Amino acid sequence: MSESLTRALGLSATVGYTALIAWLFTLQPQSMAEVTGGLSASIGAYRIDQPSFDDGMRLFRQDQFEAAVSAFERADSAKRDARTQFYIAYAFYRRGWGRFYHDDAWFTKGLETVNRAIAVAPNGRIVVEDPTLQMHSGDELKAELEAGLRRDLSDLNPLRLFRGRK
Amino acid sequence: MTAAREAFQLPILFLTVVLLGAIHIADRVSLRPPSLFGLVLSVMLLGLLVRSGALAPDRLMHATRPQLANLNGLTVIVSAVLAAAQAFTLVTPDFGLPRVLVSLFLLILLLNTLAASPDRPRVLRSLLVILGATFTLKFVVLAALSGPADGRLARVLQILFEGVTLGTVSQDPIHPATSYLAFATLVLFLVGLSLLPGRQAWPPTAGRSLAETPSGGAIEPRRRPTADEGTRSAR
Repeated sequence: MSESLTRALGLSATVGYTALIAWLFTLQPQSMAEVTGGLSASIGAYRIDQPSFDDGMRLFRQDQFEAAVSAFERADSAKRDARTQFYIAYAFYRRGWGRFYHDDAWFTKGLETVNRAIAVAPNGRIVVEDPTLQMHSGDELKAELEAGLRRDLSDLNPLRLFRGRK
Repeated sequence: MTAAREAFQLPILFLTVVLLGAIHIADRVSLRPPSLFGLVLSVMLLGLLVRSGALAPDRLMHATRPQLANLNGLTVIVSAVLAAAQAFTLVTPDFGLPRVLVSLFLLILLLNTLAASPDRPRVLRSLLVILGATFTLKFVVLAALSGPADGRLARVLQILFEGVTLGTVSQDPIHPATSYLAFATLVLFLVGLSLLPGRQAWPPTAGRSLAETPSGGAIEPRRRPTADEGTRSAR
């Protein structure tokens, strides 16, 4: 191999490796599945595991939210599918919702997840046309979760006891 | 230095140091970029390496070299600076009094080594000691003081220690995998530094390899000029 070719290949490899490291710093993946999923998503080749997603939907509609989250997480192990992340966030919302008080731990997880869903959605916009849901967009869900985590005088309003779960 | 080492081995080795040094394993894995202070220290280290002859920048970037070779040289220098910044960040405790003290310790040691103007082996040995000492402090001593206590007595002693130091010394518990990874990263970094092209003992004859010189590359002893040579130089 000629010296110029070696140098050119070395330079390309270094630039590529630097780009990969910068991408990893930005994405902060938690597992190899997230790394490979992120790479395949960047070239538009990422697909969720459809049977697991269907399991998640069935469990979600049966109000088995923790089981539904497990199935959804299995379906989207790389956390790159906005719709699946939206359903996970919705499951956290419903799991944490209470007539007298909301569970902050579930709502916090829901907020993290819906933020991730918005981040991976094209142009940051998620709309899920599901008639069984009362909130169809990521923005609505995020606002609801943030309102649930907020502490203000409206928490003392007795009429809030009559509000239903969305 | 071969083209392969300059183009492939050194940049990739130093970038691997940047990547491995960034991995922090706790309840979740995160990647921590080098700190600003780490970058300052790494620039100082670059100066130290050049001054000591451990790194000869003109062997990486020079007007007489082809443009592509100069680009390769630039990647080596930039990746070495980033790797050094990551190594310094890695051995610095995360917060509190230990962070301040170790940062000062590193700064003073580097300034002291710069002032001493040591040669290449001494600089590398000095770096080994600096990084080894700070690694031991963070990943052995502070980790032992901050980690979860095994027994009740150990827990009581830990609480007493935290009380005496007003909680300024304790750090977040360090996962063992992070410690092993940090050790491997530092070893890799030191290997990379030892592979950098250093200052040559004598300038090689232009256009000829050392083996082609009359002495076959050996340093020729200085000889007294002959009478004829002396007369010519006087004219």
